[in-house]
Amino acid sequence: MTSVTTKQAGTQGTKRAKGIRDPERFVLLGVWVVLIVFFVIAVPNTFPTAANLSSMLGSQAVLLILTLGLIIPLRAGDYDLSVASVFSLSAVTVASLNVNLGVPVGWAALIAVVLGFGVGALNGWIVTRFGIDPFIVTLGVGTVVLGLAYPVSNSRTISGVDPTLSDIMLTKPFLGIPLDFYYAVILCAIVAYVFSKTAFGQRLLFIGQNASVARLNGVPVSRLRRFALICSATIAAVAGVVYVGTTGSSDAGSGAGFLLPAFAAAFLGSTTLSVGRFNPWGTLIAVYFLVTGISGLQLMGAQQYVQELFYGGVLVIAVILSKIVRARSDKRRLAQLK
Amino acid sequence: MSSTNRSATGGRANSASTGAELLKITGLKKAFAGVPALRGVDLDIRAGEIHGLLGANGCGKSTLIKILAGFYFGDDGEISINGVEHKLPLGPRGLSDSGIAFVHQDLGLVPSLTVLEHMALDSNGTKPGFSRISWKKERSRVEELLNRFDLDLDPDAKIDTLSPVQKAMVAIVRAVGHPGLTDGKAGPLLVLDEPTVFLPRDEINALFSLLRKLKAQGDSVLLVSHDLDEVLEITDRVTVFRDGSLVGTRNTAECTRQDVVEMILGARDVQGKRQEAKVRTDIEPRLAARDVDGERVRGLSIDLRAGEVVGVTGLAGSGFEELPELLFGARPWRAGTLTVNGKDVKSPTPKEMMSNKVVLVPSDRKADGGAQELTVLENLSLPFFSNFARGWSIRWNVLRERAENVSQTFNVTPKNVDLELGKLSGGNQQKALLGKWLQTKPAVMLLNEPTQGVDVGARREIFKLLREAVTEDMAILCATSDYEQLVELADRVLILADGEVREELRGSEITKESMAEAIYSQGAK
Repeated sequence: MTSVTTKQAGTQGTKRAKGIRDPERFVLLGVWVVLIVFFVIAVPNTFPTAANLSSMLGSQAVLLILTLGLIIPLRAGDYDLSVASVFSLSAVTVASLNVNLGVPVGWAALIAVVLGFGVGALNGWIVTRFGIDPFIVTLGVGTVVLGLAYPVSNSRTISGVDPTLSDIMLTKPFLGIPLDFYYAVILCAIVAYVFSKTAFGQRLLFIGQNASVARLNGVPVSRLRRFALICSATIAAVAGVVYVGTTGSSDAGSGAGFLLPAFAAAFLGSTTLSVGRFNPWGTLIAVYFLVTGISGLQLMGAQQYVQELFYGGVLVIAVILSKIVRARSDKRRLAQLK
Repeated sequence: MSSTNRSATGGRANSASTGAELLKITGLKKAFAGVPALRGVDLDIRAGEIHGLLGANGCGKSTLIKILAGFYFGDDGEISINGVEHKLPLGPRGLSDSGIAFVHQDLGLVPSLTVLEHMALDSNGTKPGFSRISWKKERSRVEELLNRFDLDLDPDAKIDTLSPVQKAMVAIVRAVGHPGLTDGKAGPLLVLDEPTVFLPRDEINALFSLLRKLKAQGDSVLLVSHDLDEVLEITDRVTVFRDGSLVGTRNTAECTRQDVVEMILGARDVQGKRQEAKVRTDIEPRLAARDVDGERVRGLSIDLRAGEVVGVTGLAGSGFEELPELLFGARPWRAGTLTVNGKDVKSPTPKEMMSNKVVLVPSDRKADGGAQELTVLENLSLPFFSNFARGWSIRWNVLRERAENVSQTFNVTPKNVDLELGKLSGGNQQKALLGKWLQTKPAVMLLNEPTQGVDVGARREIFKLLREAVTEDMAILCATSDYEQLVELADRVLILADGEVREELRGSEITKESMAEAIYSQGAK
């Protein structure tokens, strides 16, 4: 494990790692490894195969992209519950424009993303202009957006989207892994850079921890919160486009199943690498930890509903865990001080 | 530090019931992150007396009340009520179930609910959630209570329609009428934590007559206050704390104002020579504000010149505590004009003031000063992320160097900038936060209680740093209720009352006595 310490994510370019600081930070990684080993032994014929690996990595890229957007406002302490609806609206917009109206798929995708931007701007404006809790604002706006997705799709599943989109996302894998996985990893790297290396990312962190401190130090709190909500909605729209690429079709219910997993992954991710902070690499680990558990269990013969049990359970456990982990490392550091 | 006479037989006009010891506290100790707030204090309160608890800010009186109310755990000491010992820690409800009623400064009332609803909450608070509230019974209980104290109040009046003193009285009647109190247990003792701070002068008498009625019933009152005149007027005995220790308990009738002032301030000499700065009257003031209206401040004008430390002080609620944030643009600015280095600032915001090299160190380190869960490095870098960036990339190595430099120069221990700010002691946090700004060489530094919760050693270091800083043509405004600090630090002291400057003291006029005299005598005017 010592080799990992030299690459600490989230400690802001610290190059002075001495020994393993906070072993709690790697608990999730450890559990993940144990889980993988367990399934390799339990279902040796189907789990450790190239096909399964490729499917696991590729299928979760959409969730990873969505969650990476979500952690941006979360870093500032704001929940965005509208991401799943924006995702759906974006997915049906692309499909409907392309299939029903014959708009080139590139343009359709651009329009979908601009729509996402618009929803984010609306969320941000309401939240900061009227000082309302984003939790309730994004819940309401998200429901309206979902309502719009139905007429856009005529409440039907639209299939037959231009295969160029699928080619870019899915059907032409690199090293046996679908391309959308690489896009998600690139986005992860970008978000990681923004969080730890830019003023924007650091200011978001202060807003989330103590908005009063941020304000008294000249941080434009409202503007940045607004911008963070725009980021999450825009990225959710991008995730919707990627989703259409992987399935070739979409309906207004496409995003519904993604809301809870995204929050589960965001919170679980915040228990690892840099404890107590929403961080992109932790999110990546969390997303793939979740899919490992679910596909392993399904390969062992479990029913579809284990997904709900697993995601829901993990969300609750992750939140509890982050409290415990944090308290523990606090205690130890205090002890070291004395 | 001598604990005095418990032999004395009551103060003036004391009924015969005085004498039985109701609450007895011995050797109570409490420290926060190693900084002692109470160093082993004693306090005894007798049945049927009004007892005053006095002391300057940070003397430990609020800490004591909060321990009794269960907000803090005491570290050590003995507490007994009517001879029954209560083991520390007291648990989350403190002594509330043992015949002690608390009314805190904020009164704990909800503006949109009625008097009746507040009281019904108390009598039903301990029952299972779904038992029926008998509104008829509640109403008669509340009416009986209001009648008993001759209060002409409508039980259906919403709290926000009441005057400040009516609110205070509702809070008091509610506390002493709490059904949990009258379960045959001893007492009750009413603890009032600075109830008069936000009350208009002429209404305080109404409050006092209520307290006298309580006393006539045989109840006891512990009145925590800053205000000397009030305490001298109404209490039977008075206890004074200073720096977390007991100074003494006296019969109020046997004390003069001067005695009590001396007990509060102590007779310590100011030590150490301070570095004298030259006040630059030849250049424009660093900051000039005219006719400023804020929440409490009214029509205030002030000049801050390079090379001087201007102190502002007064009673809590007089507006002095608002001034640093107000001048920084962090509080609503109702009227007035502001110039910084001769440049007009139309509507000040923190960002704009910072770009004019005006900085603020707020009083509440936890809430406003620094993010406790982020590291020292991050906290010290917050205002400078864009200043030290290459393109979009923050140059963490430069920021780290600067943070380590602050840590060295201002002696912040432990010298590990990757530690969370909240893990540092109050004094070290404050040195770090002051250092963050001092290294940028600001034109004006606005300080609010810069040494609250700071130990004596760090306090002296901070004073030295600030005096050195003004020699480099900086102007400092220091709002504090700590007089000793102003004696050591300030070139000028403005004393505020009711939002206005009541008096200005300069140079050798600045003594603890002169400030205390100016502040505490305002009530008489």
